[in-house]
Formats: sequence, structure tokens, C-alpha cells
Amino acid sequence: MISFNWTSFVIQILAFGILYLLLSKYAFGPLFGIMEKRRQLVKEQIDSAEKNRVESERFLEEQKQSLQQARKEAYDIIEQAKSTGSKQADEIVAAARNESSRLKEDAVRDIESEKNKAIASLKAEVGGLSVQIASKILEKQVDEQAQSQLVDEYLKDVGNKS
Amino acid sequence: MKGVKSTNMEHLAPIVVLGGQKFDLAAIFMIVLTSIIVFILARLSIRNLSVDNPGKLQNFMEWVVEFVSNIIGMATDFKRGKVYLSLGLTLIMYIFIGNMLGLPFSIITEAHGHATFLGMDLFMNGHEEAHFAWWKSPTADAAMTMALALTVIVLSHIQGVRHNRKHYLKHYFQPWAFFLPINLIETIAKPLTLGLRLFGNIYAGEVMIGVILGMGWVGIPALLVWQGFSIFVGAIQAFVFTMLTMVYIGQASIHEEEH
Repeated sequence: MISFNWTSFVIQILAFGILYLLLSKYAFGPLFGIMEKRRQLVKEQIDSAEKNRVESERFLEEQKQSLQQARKEAYDIIEQAKSTGSKQADEIVAAARNESSRLKEDAVRDIESEKNKAIASLKAEVGGLSVQIASKILEKQVDEQAQSQLVDEYLKDVGNKS
Repeated sequence: MKGVKSTNMEHLAPIVVLGGQKFDLAAIFMIVLTSIIVFILARLSIRNLSVDNPGKLQNFMEWVVEFVSNIIGMATDFKRGKVYLSLGLTLIMYIFIGNMLGLPFSIITEAHGHATFLGMDLFMNGHEEAHFAWWKSPTADAAMTMALALTVIVLSHIQGVRHNRKHYLKHYFQPWAFFLPINLIETIAKPLTLGLRLFGNIYAGEVMIGVILGMGWVGIPALLVWQGFSIFVGAIQAFVFTMLTMVYIGQASIHEEEH
């Protein structure tokens, strides 16, 4: 039976209105609040996860950089050691070279002076010997005094010439 | 056969006359019952509200809220339609539960010659013998579905005038001024179609159940199938009603930029 009952109509409108008000106030209000909070919670968690990810990436990058730097420093140190070593070797070689040349010069100088000494002593020896030889030859012909005079003159002459 | 006879016998609504007005006791009873069930369900679902550890009912209710939010988002702009979320939720829950209530059983009392309820005479419509149906979907009554439809349509017009006056008034003369009669017919047709669609679907479902019951034991498989289908229809109609409500409100009160 299809009928249209005005009282049902009015009561339905009233009941629906009341139900709507009650639900909005006592059920949906708190529910929406909690849903909003949950949305924010999820959003916060996603945000923090994203932040952590970015941070960890940054740390990784930093680690990489510091590793790179450490590697570079080690290389530098090795290079420096190498160059220092070769420099020192050069210095040592140069010092040795100087020393040897100095020693050689000293030796040459010593030889020179020895030679001069030898020449001087030889000169005196030769003088004495020649005097002796000459005196032996002239013993009989010239007297001692004239002979000595003659030798002196002669030696003077020799000394001037030498 | 008794079953055939009982389909012929009218199932009367238990009506009492009070102060010159007819009150349909079954309708009032079902309205109140449905409202109470909806309210208790909603209250139960928010009993242990929790931000980080929601219970099953809270999850279900949040799913319903998301569902209605999506309906609003489909019908209009969700940001501006957000204020109608509570309305949509109340509508869909009330209509869905109302649709479901009529399905599982019915309460019918027989009366011979004279019947009373709490000392009030039931209106027998001149019959000697009558069956009173005490249990039915509140949405299987045209008065109730029209009440819901008119409520939301009037609301849409009020919101249209309040928030969107220029476009609301202009749309009666769209696309040209002489379209006014057609637009007026459309305006009148909206609540009629909205209310009668729901009523027709649910009422037809209940009539069909009555017919199948008249078949006796043979009808049990058909009854099961039909009840399953009625659950589907009830859900769809609740969805359609809510959806159309949001569309009408959106059309009237929320001005879209491309218009």
C-alpha cells in the first residue's frame, strides 16, 4: 500500500535533523579531530623519514669527502717524503763532491810544497857537492883563499841565475 | 492455499489517530530505531579513539569517512564541500542501515475487528480483519524518503542563495531566459526523483520479499538470492542518494570557475 503520511514526513525530517546534530556533535566531531591528528602523525613520520634520509645522504657525502681528503693527504705526504729524500741525496752527493775536490786540492798543494822543499834541499846539496868536487880538482893549483873567493863568486853567480 | 490468500490480504500500517492527525506507529518506530542504531554505531566507533593504534570500528568508520570524502570530492570541490561531510555521513549511514533493517524479517500482527496499541485504537481502514506490518525499512515509505530528499534539496537551495546568490539565481535563466519553465521543472523534479528513486527501490524490494514469502517453502532459495540482491541495492541506493545530494548542493552553492 502506497500512502503518503504527513506526520511520518514531518517526524522523519525532525528525526533526521536531530540525528544529524547529535552525530556531528558527539560522534563525527571527535572522529574528524582524531583523523586530522592521525593525518598529521603520518605526515610527521614521513617528514622525519625524509629528513633522516637527507641527513644520512649528507653524512655519506661528508664521509666520502673526508676519505678523499685523507687519501690526498697521504699521497701528498708520500710525495713530500720522496722529494725530501731525493733532495737529501743530492745534498749528500754534492757535499761528497766538494770534500773530494778539497782533498784533491790539499794533496796538490802538499805535493807542490814537498816538491819545492825537495828542490831547495837538492839545490843546497848540489852546491855542497860541486864545491867539494871543485875543491878536489883545484886543490893543487889554487890556494885555499883564492879558491874560496872563486867559488863564492861562482855560487853567487849561480844563485843569481837560479 | 493460505500463502496465496495472505498476499491478497493487505498489510496495513499500524496507524493511530491523535488530535485529528494520523500517526504511522511502524514508521515512527523504525525511524527512531534506525536513528538509534546509527547513533550507537557511530558512538561505538569513537569509543576508543586512538591516534596511533586505531581499533577495528574506528578503522571502519574512518573508511566510511574517506568514502564520503571521495563522494564529495567527485561531486564538487572537496575543500569547499568539506562542511557537508557530516551531512553525507549521516545520510549514507541512516539510509544504508534503514535499507538493511527491512531485509531480515518482518513483524506482523493479526487483528480481528478491533486492535489497540497502548490504549489507542489502530486505524483499520474499514476492514474487518487486518494484518499490521510493524517492521519495515524506514526508506520503504515515500513520506520518509521524500522527507530526506526535501531536506537536502531545501538545504541546497538555501546554501545556493547564501553562498552563491548571483550564479544561483542566474542558473534559472540559463542558457536563455525562456528556459525558466524548464529550469523550474528541473528544480521540482530533483527532490521527486531523489526521494522516489530510493523509495521505489527499497519498497519494490520489500514487496518482492513479500511475494516470495507467499510462495511458501519453495521460495527459500529465491528469498536468499533476493535478499542478497537487496543488500546490494540498499548499498547502491545509499551511495546514490548521498552522491546526488552532494551533486545538487555542489551545483547550487559551490560556484566552479569554469562556469
